[in-house]
Amino acid sequence: MIKAVMMMNTQGKPRLAKFYDYMPVEKQQELIRGVFSVLCSRPENVSNFLEIDSLFGPDSRLVYKHYATLYFVLVFDGSENELAMLDLIQVLVETLDKCFSNVCELDIVFNYSKMHAVLDEIVFGGQVLETSSAEVMKAVKEISKLEAASNSISLVPKSVSGWRGR
Amino acid sequence: MSGMRGLSVFISDIRNCQNKEAERLRVDKELGNIRTCFKNEKVLTPYKKKKYVWKMLYIHMLGYDVDFGHMEAVSLISAPKYPEKQVGYIVTSCLLNENHDFLRLAINTVRNDIIGRNETFQCLALTLVGNIGGRDFSESLAPDVQKLLISSSCRPLVRKKAALCLLRLFRKNPDAVNVDGWADRMAQLLDERDLGVLTSSTSLLVALVSNNHEAYSSCLPKCVKILERLARNQDVPQEYTYYGIPSPWLQVKAMRALQYFPTIEDPSTRKALFEVLQRILMGTDVVKNVNKNNASHAVLFEALSLVMHLDAEKEMMSQCVALLGKFISVREPNIRYLGLENMTRMLMVTDVQDIIKKHQSQIITSLKDPDISIRRRALDLLYGMCDVSNAKDIVEELLQYLSTAEFSMREELSLKAAILAEKFAPDLSWYVDVILQLIDKAGDFVSDDIWFRVVQFVTNNEDLQPYAASKAREYLDKIAIHETMLKVSAYILGEYGHLLARQPGCSASELFSILHEKLPTVSTPTIPILLSTYAKLLMHTQPPDPELQKKIWAVFKKYESCIDVEIQQRAVEYFELSKKGAAFMDVLAEMPKFPERQSSLIRKAEDVEDTADQSAIKLRAQQQPSNALVLADPQPVDGAPPPLKVPIVSGSTNPESVARSVSQAYGTLSSIDPQTPSPDLLSDLLGPLAIEAAPGAVSTEQHGPIGAEGVPEEVDGSAIVPVEEQTNSVELIGNIAERFHALCLKDSGVLYEDPHIQIGIKAEWRGQHGRLVLFMGNKNTSPLTSVQALILPPAHLKLDLSPVPDTIPPRAQVQSPLEVMNIRPSRDVAVLDFSYKFGTNMVNAKLRIPATLNKFLQPLQLTSEEFFPQWRALSGPPLKLQEVVRGVRPLALPEMANLFNSFHVTICPGLDPNPNNLVASTTFYSESTGAMLCLARIETDPADRTQLRMTVGSGDPALTFELKEFIKEQLITIPMGSRALVPAAGPGPAPAPPVAQPPSPAALADDPGALLAGLL
Repeated sequence: MIKAVMMMNTQGKPRLAKFYDYMPVEKQQELIRGVFSVLCSRPENVSNFLEIDSLFGPDSRLVYKHYATLYFVLVFDGSENELAMLDLIQVLVETLDKCFSNVCELDIVFNYSKMHAVLDEIVFGGQVLETSSAEVMKAVKEISKLEAASNSISLVPKSVSGWRGR
Repeated sequence: MSGMRGLSVFISDIRNCQNKEAERLRVDKELGNIRTCFKNEKVLTPYKKKKYVWKMLYIHMLGYDVDFGHMEAVSLISAPKYPEKQVGYIVTSCLLNENHDFLRLAINTVRNDIIGRNETFQCLALTLVGNIGGRDFSESLAPDVQKLLISSSCRPLVRKKAALCLLRLFRKNPDAVNVDGWADRMAQLLDERDLGVLTSSTSLLVALVSNNHEAYSSCLPKCVKILERLARNQDVPQEYTYYGIPSPWLQVKAMRALQYFPTIEDPSTRKALFEVLQRILMGTDVVKNVNKNNASHAVLFEALSLVMHLDAEKEMMSQCVALLGKFISVREPNIRYLGLENMTRMLMVTDVQDIIKKHQSQIITSLKDPDISIRRRALDLLYGMCDVSNAKDIVEELLQYLSTAEFSMREELSLKAAILAEKFAPDLSWYVDVILQLIDKAGDFVSDDIWFRVVQFVTNNEDLQPYAASKAREYLDKIAIHETMLKVSAYILGEYGHLLARQPGCSASELFSILHEKLPTVSTPTIPILLSTYAKLLMHTQPPDPELQKKIWAVFKKYESCIDVEIQQRAVEYFELSKKGAAFMDVLAEMPKFPERQSSLIRKAEDVEDTADQSAIKLRAQQQPSNALVLADPQPVDGAPPPLKVPIVSGSTNPESVARSVSQAYGTLSSIDPQTPSPDLLSDLLGPLAIEAAPGAVSTEQHGPIGAEGVPEEVDGSAIVPVEEQTNSVELIGNIAERFHALCLKDSGVLYEDPHIQIGIKAEWRGQHGRLVLFMGNKNTSPLTSVQALILPPAHLKLDLSPVPDTIPPRAQVQSPLEVMNIRPSRDVAVLDFSYKFGTNMVNAKLRIPATLNKFLQPLQLTSEEFFPQWRALSGPPLKLQEVVRGVRPLALPEMANLFNSFHVTICPGLDPNPNNLVASTTFYSESTGAMLCLARIETDPADRTQLRMTVGSGDPALTFELKEFIKEQLITIPMGSRALVPAAGPGPAPAPPVAQPPSPAALADDPGALLAGLL
């Protein structure tokens, strides 16, 4: 079972965090900080696996991937295959890339709600729900349509280029 | 999720905050704003509500507590329009947990959405339940969710969510899925074409089979079918092909599910599966594209686990090891990491250790990898693969690595090195070297356990003492030594420094000055150890050296007024004692040997490593222990306890204070109550003396030898229970339980022995009848009187013991026949209540008679033509019973076969096609059943030798049950001296109050009584 999905930038700011076992907010922050402090000390070109027992208890594993300014992190237990989890991160990133055409950190920051929708189509209650990014895209588009249909007040276009200038 | 201006503005405001304080102010302002708006609900449009709730979620993620607005989030769930409803669902599932009261309010709305026709609503509701649904949801929603999952009209999008939702409900409440009804449905679900639904369904299956694999056995071939479909790339749509690999996740899940079935019986399924596995093993290469590599190796590593689980043919196994050998040297770090991890798991498979050892140098190289994750894996593997043959190399590598390892690994590293050194040392002096080096290099990380243990070894092995002392002396020459090293050195030199007296630089006064040099720099707990050492040095100086005495007395004087009570007391007491001459010698004599026991280090390691993978290592470690380091027997072989000096203190001091001072003389830490020594190693340092000096013992006249084992906590439940005070004051020879267990498997031997009497037994069995003869031999030169032997028969045996004479003359033997008839099957045991008087001592023992179930079995070997018709004829309970037995003592198959044969259940080799299974047959005799055929089958799990499945059948339900339980008892490790069996007659040496006159070894050897066993 997947215990947590985290995205954080290289400064340790959380961009998205979802825990599949309930945890109080302080604990969540502690774990995010703990994971970051280990991640930021990892050199390049090492494995994507981390021992994380001290943070998440025995039989927990962590895989991460580092893309530009972001870390994508999955924490899970022994019932999952490590490399398959790594692939799942790749699926998530590829899907986001399709969503935002060349995803960057700002897309993730400003489309907080959409991020949740995408993640919920891939990981469901700590289990892998869908592994085909095409299928995920289909589902997400469907949701967008539904929202657009009933939401006339939608104002901000998808492009966030205006914000990027900052 | 389409843009919300307010949310975007808020997020960018947060981003513009220069520091945490500014961020907090902005967040507080926003929370205040939201709070006001929520209070004024009437003017709140659904859009605004939605916006605020998203902001709350964002604030929550930033790490701020959002303790209001939950109701608003939940209420959005019942909004009629999609956008609000969606936000309600997403935010609720992030902010609330399954026990939140508000969630219960939403159950009805959620249910309506699930059973409604709107698929998008269904998806939202399922997502909520799948993420945070608790028991309440499970009870009210499980049937609805199941309906969605098997519905033919639902879209895959809904069904795959329903599958995982059901999984959550099952986890929260296993009754949510009714095994009988659901097993067939589950099997049907695995025929699904849509790979999304199939992946989710397979996840559900994994959860279900992990709980009860038998009920879902029909799913096993389906999993193999799925794998075949994917391996052949049949009917796999493009979108499910990931970097050219047909859905790696589904392949992985299907193989994971298969690992929950103990074995695959159907030959054609097995064959098909092995073909797929072979294809995966052979067809995977390391390629340039990282993602493709990861995906293909995800499948490959899962296949490796499955192969290990199935315990495939040797050829395939060595293929796996060869692959792993390749992996641990590739450039790709992920593969290296997993290669090492899987090799560690592979250790549990027999016959591959030798191939793994070939990679030792590569593994040692990985210990220097730049990636700490890989270094840790390498350490685990080295630890697991270590045995007598390579211990020296591996431990020396670990010691070398210790100097460069990061701090976070040092403690683990030193503990592991210490354990390996202890377990596999080729010789003891090497062990001492290793531990001293360990303390020298990483003193801060060496726990007390480690140095206590080395002290134990040195104390118990005389040969080692001069060597250890000279080593300890060498380390003292170093300019800077770790305090732990000083403690060990001081202790060892105090005890054995005098053995070095002739060597240069090792006279008592030289030892004293080199130790005393270090005293100013040590911490308080070390000072008492040094004081004890000084006292010992002083005692060993014969003839007394007035110079040294003056110096040491000066030290004692100095600490007489120390603020630390422990130090002060020692200083005062040593000073007083050292003026007492002979008594001083006695008090400070060499420490007696420690009782043999499991190393607390190894115990600690076992406690720590209780995960599945590690236990395999442990198991293997148990299988090949080294004999090198078995603690020397605490008692000389002839049973005479080692002499122990008893403090004879004349005059003022009362026994209790002597006990304290004495115990503290040997203790290293304060505040240990001598009456109740704590069960750690320190108690060994304190124990023997503490108990000896307990008021009662000291006040008696007899200061005879006292068993070193007479420490209260050492006495397990096995001691003979005294009938009344002053009885049973005999020391048993041998362990009653062990004797009984031995006699269960053979027909003659000694049943009981103490210094006065030996009871032997000889038996013949024919069908349901048995004839035993008890031989009671008086070993003394005076008669044993009031001899009584009573049989306490269980209900299923008819027993007839011929009368036993009241008196057994000196050095004579009496025989007493015992007739046994078996009426019906039972595992109960007859007990012999035996008592006699020696002098004024009444001795009573309750002894189990080895007329056990297996004695009424007669070996019988069947051919497959005879076996299988009978086996099939036994249809099921109650005539044929099956049980999964856990906690089995791990045995290799041939050993297990021998065990079975030894209790007359004959193994019929070759009958079962699976080499991991045993099939056995036997005939049982009793009055009620007559001669009855019994059959048994044992299915072992090569991946986990501690569990197996056992099926036993016979024509009589009681017999089937009893035989099954009997076999189980034989397979499960019965802790020696288990109180549960026969409380009154447990095994083990009794605590030994002073024995008046134990027979000397010579007398024993000459005594004809001692030879009785041989005659029988």
